[in-house]
Formats: sequence, structure tokens, C-alpha cells
Amino acid sequence: MPQYMLLLYDNPANWQNLSPEEMQKALEKYMAWTQKPYTKDSKRLGQDAGRVIRRPKGGQARATDGPYSETKEVLGGYYTIEAANYDEAVKLAIEHPHLDYGGTVEVRQVWGT
Amino acid sequence: MGNVGSEPGVLLEHLFRHQAGRMVAHFARLFGPAHLDLAEETVQDAMLRALQTWPYLGVPENAAAWLFRVAHNSAIDAIRRKRFLVSDEVLAGILRSEDTQVDPLLEEQFRDDELRMIFMCSHPEISREASVALSLKTVSGFSVREIARAFLADEAAVAQRLVRAKRQIRERDLTLEMPHGEELAQRLDSVLEAIYFVFNEGYTAHEGEDLIRRDLCAEALRLGRLVASSSIATPKVHALVALMALQAARLPARVDEAGDLVLLESQDRNRWDRALMGLGFHHFDLSMAGREVSEYHVQAAIAATHARAGDAQSIDWTMIMHLYDQLFVINPSPVIALNRAVAVAKVHGAAAGLALVDQLEHDARLRHYHLLLAVRGHLLRELGRLSEAAQEFSAALELPCSEPERRFLRRQLQACQ
Repeated sequence: MPQYMLLLYDNPANWQNLSPEEMQKALEKYMAWTQKPYTKDSKRLGQDAGRVIRRPKGGQARATDGPYSETKEVLGGYYTIEAANYDEAVKLAIEHPHLDYGGTVEVRQVWGT
Repeated sequence: MGNVGSEPGVLLEHLFRHQAGRMVAHFARLFGPAHLDLAEETVQDAMLRALQTWPYLGVPENAAAWLFRVAHNSAIDAIRRKRFLVSDEVLAGILRSEDTQVDPLLEEQFRDDELRMIFMCSHPEISREASVALSLKTVSGFSVREIARAFLADEAAVAQRLVRAKRQIRERDLTLEMPHGEELAQRLDSVLEAIYFVFNEGYTAHEGEDLIRRDLCAEALRLGRLVASSSIATPKVHALVALMALQAARLPARVDEAGDLVLLESQDRNRWDRALMGLGFHHFDLSMAGREVSEYHVQAAIAATHARAGDAQSIDWTMIMHLYDQLFVINPSPVIALNRAVAVAKVHGAAAGLALVDQLEHDARLRHYHLLLAVRGHLLRELGRLSEAAQEFSAALELPCSEPERRFLRRQLQACQ
């Protein structure tokens, strides 16, 4: 079955106003989603750098702050799910609790699967 | 592969709330209470990290230890970034506390930190309202929004109270040292009052209302047990815990499945919480040591008398009436007088009860108290004075009361017509 990556972007500021109890409730929703049979893999990405390396014309390659600093949204991690086709994958992604907490989910097919 | 599909760690109910409370108390001790905000930030950061990590890696086996370790590292970071200056002694303390992670004494240390925090929150320099809010925020892990909801107060007002309380802590240089001697006894009284206040706020809420209010009962009981398990516990502390546990045990029977109030006579005793009942009687026994008979003792004895009755018919109303007499001597409040009138009606008949209720009718403190009218209506109905009873129930419905109470009063009114 084709695999799809769900890229989860979030703005940490969205979480700031949650109480500990609400945070736990949110976590429980996320955990329930990861237990779904179509969820195959999950990876968290580090938040510390978020730098992009470029080589300006004629110059030296150097690392600059990534696009995140402007949008304030960070790619926090990704899930790999299985779905019959792209539309099915989108349907599953729409159920993700990430959206209830102001996050964004991008759906991309893993080519060749 | 990530951890998806593997056995997830289980999150205990209210784990975050409880951990937040004890960790804030812990870091407040390490940083000093003047840096309470930083302690709260540190803990909030650790919880945010969990939110960014666990959805991908799963809940770690020991979630509480994970949170503590992350908070601890972020505390060290905060100090290294020189966000605030600490003495070498404080820094050494923080670094040392890392070693205690595997220390079985850590649990004990946490409880001690919480206890100190509870006592500081009840410092006489801090007003009662602010003290309750501060305690719920720092020891109990409630948010400003949750505190506001629980007390039907304005969020901005609660936030204001907290700001003022923290300013008082800094300006008066309050410490987390436990008071001694006479001061300890006085402070303990304030602590118990604050705990009982929180319990009552939750207890007077009814089914169908915000769940947060029922959380208050559980939290008050947790704090009470924390004090009761410490070396400074007195019989009075046990009396308060007994009272809260015995009352809370009967809460589930107070409303039916439809969320309607159930009269004492028709409550289903199978719905009582047996574990809480046992806890209540355990502390009731412990409260008997010593000579002091506090208001909590008498209230606990009343709750115990109700709890001991196998069915509604075998409630020892004579005993309850005498206990209310005693309670009224300690605290001559009109609400206690009203409860006493109910007990008198059970023992000496509705007319005797009604005579006592009539005396309360002009008490300004009960002017907007719907239960006064409801009790009066109930007694009039028992005496067969139905049209007068109907008037009382109609008048009670004009006053502010909860939705289940309103439905209950309407049913009573219909029965009189």
C-alpha cells in the first residue's frame, strides 16, 4: 500500500496557554492517533537549529536561519501512514488532533511505495 | 522506526497537573520563592517538551521522572544563561538535586517541598482569596483559567490576585521555612481553612456543572492527606480529612443518572465510594487522639453518623441533632442553624423544625438563600399545608440556584399543586 508522510508544523506559542491538565488531554489525543493501524512510523525532529545552508553566488556556503524564524511555525516531526491513495491519506490526516491545537499538517506521498 | 505501535506508557489521571504542582514547589525551593515565576516557567517548558516529543516517541516508561529531568536541565540552562543570578549555594543545590533522581528519598523531598509551599501560600501577609488562588496555581497545577472557572470568577481578577501575592512574597521576603511553635499552630489553622474552603467550593457544585469544580474536592482531599501524612499532623488535620473523605464518598449518590438531585431518604447507598468511606473512618479514628474538639471534628462526626447508617431508616437523627447543637456552639452560623432545624424536625416532628426555621426567616444573611425556602416548603408539605408549601418553592425558584436544584424545586412545587 502507498505510504504518505504527514509533516506536522506547529507554533509553540499555541501551547503556551494550555494548563497542565489540558496538555495531558492533548497528549492523550495524539497518543490515541499514533495507535491507529495505518500509522507506520513516527519521528521527531530536533528544534534547536532550524538552519538552512546556502551558497550565495561567488561566495562561500554558510548556514543561515531557516524560514522558520519568519513564519514562527516549526516542522516538529512526521508520521508515515498507509493509505489507498492521496485523497484517503488526506482524509486520515484531517482527523489528526494536531489541527485542534492550531497546527498544520502537510501530506506528501513517499514516492515508489 | 519510531515508537509507534509499541506499548505506550500509561499516563495516570491528572499526572500533569499533580507533577506541575510538586515540581513548581520543588524549583521554588531551589530558586527561592522570589523566583516563583521562573519555577513555573521551568515546569511549563518541560511539559511543552513532552508535548513536542511524546506524540512521536510515545510516552516514556516513567513519565514523571522524564518531566522532572527535563525541567531540571532547563533550570540549569536558565541559570547558565544568567537569566538570574543565584548564589553558589543555590547552584550547588540544583546540581546536587540531579543525583536525587534515583534516590528513593526524592518522593519524600517532593512532599516536603509541597508542604512548605502550602504553608507559605497561607502566610498571613497574603489575603485569603489570593492565598487560595496561589496555592491552586503553584501546589495544585491549576491554570488561571481553571481557577477562574472553578470559583466563577473573572480571569483577569484571578491573574491580578496572583500577581499581588507574588509581589507580597518578594517584598515581604517570605521564605519556605516551616514556622515553629505557636506560629506553626496558627499557620496550620489557616492552611486547613484554605483546604476546607476549596473542598466546599467543589462540594456545593452539582452534576451537570463544570467538572473542574468536582476536581476541587479531589484536590482538597489530596492536600489534606498530604498534611495528615506529615510530621506536623494534629488530630484536627485528621478530622478535616475524615470530614472531606466521608462527604466525598457520598457524592456519587447525591444525583441520579439524569443528573437530578436525590433526597437523602432515597439515595442509593451502593453508589457510595467504599474506598473513600474507609479512608474517612481511618482518619476519623486518628482524629480522636487528644482533647480538642474542633468544628471539623463535629462535622466529621455528623458525616460519620450518616455513613454508619445501613439504610435511610436507621440514621441516628438524635445523635445528629446533638452534634448540630454542639456545632452551633462552636460556630453559630445561620446555615448551621438551618441544618440543625432539619435534624430537629426528624426527631421532634416537622412542626418543631418549622418553628426553628421561622426564627431564621428574618436573618439578613439568609435572605437570598434558596435552601431556607426549600426546607420551609418541605416541612410545610409534611404538615399538609400544601398551598403555603407551594409558595415557598415558587419563591425559592426566584433565587439563584443550580440547574439540578431548579428541576428539584419544580418537582416539589408540582407535588404540592
